[in-house]
Amino acid sequence: MIFSAGFLSFIIYGALIWCALAALALAALLIRDMTKGDIW
Amino acid sequence: MSESAAILPPSLGWILLALFSVLWVGLGIYWGRRNRNFEDHALAGRNVGLALGSATAAATWITSNTTMLAPQFALQLGVWGMLAYATASFGLFLFAPMAGRIRRLMPEGYTSGDFFRLRYGRVAWGIFLVFTLFYSLTWLVSMAMAGGILLNALSGIPYVWGMTVILAVCVIYTMRGGLAAVIGTDFIQSLIIIVGIVIVGFSVLSHVPVEQIHANLVEERPALLDVLFPAAIMAIFNNLLFGLGEVFHNNVWWSRAFAFRKGLGGKAFAYGGLIWFPIPVAAGFIALASGALDVPVPAADMVGPLVVADVLGMAGAIAIFIIVFCSLASSIDSLLAATSDLLTEDVYRRLFHNDAAPERLKQVAQWVTLALGIFTWAVCVPRVGTLATVLFFAGPLVGSMIWPIVTGLYWRSANTTGAVGGMLLGAGIGLVCYFAIGWYVATLIATAVSMAWVLACAWFSKSRYDWARLGDAT
Repeated sequence: MIFSAGFLSFIIYGALIWCALAALALAALLIRDMTKGDIW
Repeated sequence: MSESAAILPPSLGWILLALFSVLWVGLGIYWGRRNRNFEDHALAGRNVGLALGSATAAATWITSNTTMLAPQFALQLGVWGMLAYATASFGLFLFAPMAGRIRRLMPEGYTSGDFFRLRYGRVAWGIFLVFTLFYSLTWLVSMAMAGGILLNALSGIPYVWGMTVILAVCVIYTMRGGLAAVIGTDFIQSLIIIVGIVIVGFSVLSHVPVEQIHANLVEERPALLDVLFPAAIMAIFNNLLFGLGEVFHNNVWWSRAFAFRKGLGGKAFAYGGLIWFPIPVAAGFIALASGALDVPVPAADMVGPLVVADVLGMAGAIAIFIIVFCSLASSIDSLLAATSDLLTEDVYRRLFHNDAAPERLKQVAQWVTLALGIFTWAVCVPRVGTLATVLFFAGPLVGSMIWPIVTGLYWRSANTTGAVGGMLLGAGIGLVCYFAIGWYVATLIATAVSMAWVLACAWFSKSRYDWARLGDAT
């Protein structure tokens, strides 16, 4: 039994999109902390 | 590797190295200007916010192993190899609730050594210090060696020069800026790494679709797609436990739990885990494309850079160089800071100068950082290949500390006999199994033995620990 092409696509594209969203979320969190004066 | 075999010309490698070195050192000096005493230097004033906290948890866990070893895992262990690597994020997820509890129980704590000393007494504290210093120093040496080797392989910069520059840069900005500099640079480094991986990943997919990668694997290396790949499934458990043990015990993570603003630790570590979780797959799948792209892979540990350079040319080679440099710096700086804090607080202060002033402790921590850098450099210069493999011996040591820490944080019945016996028996039997059976069972057995001993001692114990004693860390 082997992993299908569909599953491989799902984890690869899923991981890349997840990473992109994580970078955006980090940037958004920083901007939020900066505006509130809460960076450190 | 010779200059002709490198994927970047040395001159370009030196320019990139110089640019990022100036950036990190400049930022370190800038962020370090606020540090007045040991608390500012070691814990960034205990007031780090959610954005920097989440980023530093993820960035510290993104070592050169993540960006270089994940493709190697994929090439050797297939789809399960990438997923096995991703389980290392569970250490961050499970540490999240512990970080909140650590901050509540020890509002004045500095290091994980403080916890062992106050919770289990001086014998357990001594064993912990030996185990954690062995692990931290071998990790530091292996990272610095990896730095020299990778910069040489990527750009032809001589090993000693590459290793010296990356180590010197990290030492300078960690000395000057302390944890604030480490956390600040971690934020920038994590963004560079994640964005770089996304760009490189989508660029590779634009050259070779997943269906073609899959078809090539079915034809040439079907084992990499095997749902029941035994070696890969074993690797999941080993990686998972190694990750748990490392995060639970090491001062790299405890110092962050103490440094994050009150109430934020749990959320920051959970976000860090979420950020880190997809990276082994996003960085690792590139290796699976090597067959479909017909890229020759002379050494498995260089498969990632070779595929990227083949597909994307000079731009891809520059991207990989920057990603690797940031990955190395984000781990080396954290190890330097956390190990120097441990030596300053647990050895200098607790063993010899209990009444040292906070300003004096800050100076000591800076000198210890420098000494650690010089020690690491001296060990790395001869480039003894087997040194890096010493890190694998640390698996049983790390695994044997999981249960004393978890039960010590949550169970009043956890006691010194359990902690001392758990660490010694677990590590001892784990190391015997390492040599008698193999690396893939050592951490698992060490953790199981330690668990049995710690739980049995807690079960039969009549003593009940007073949590208020942990609050007396000062």
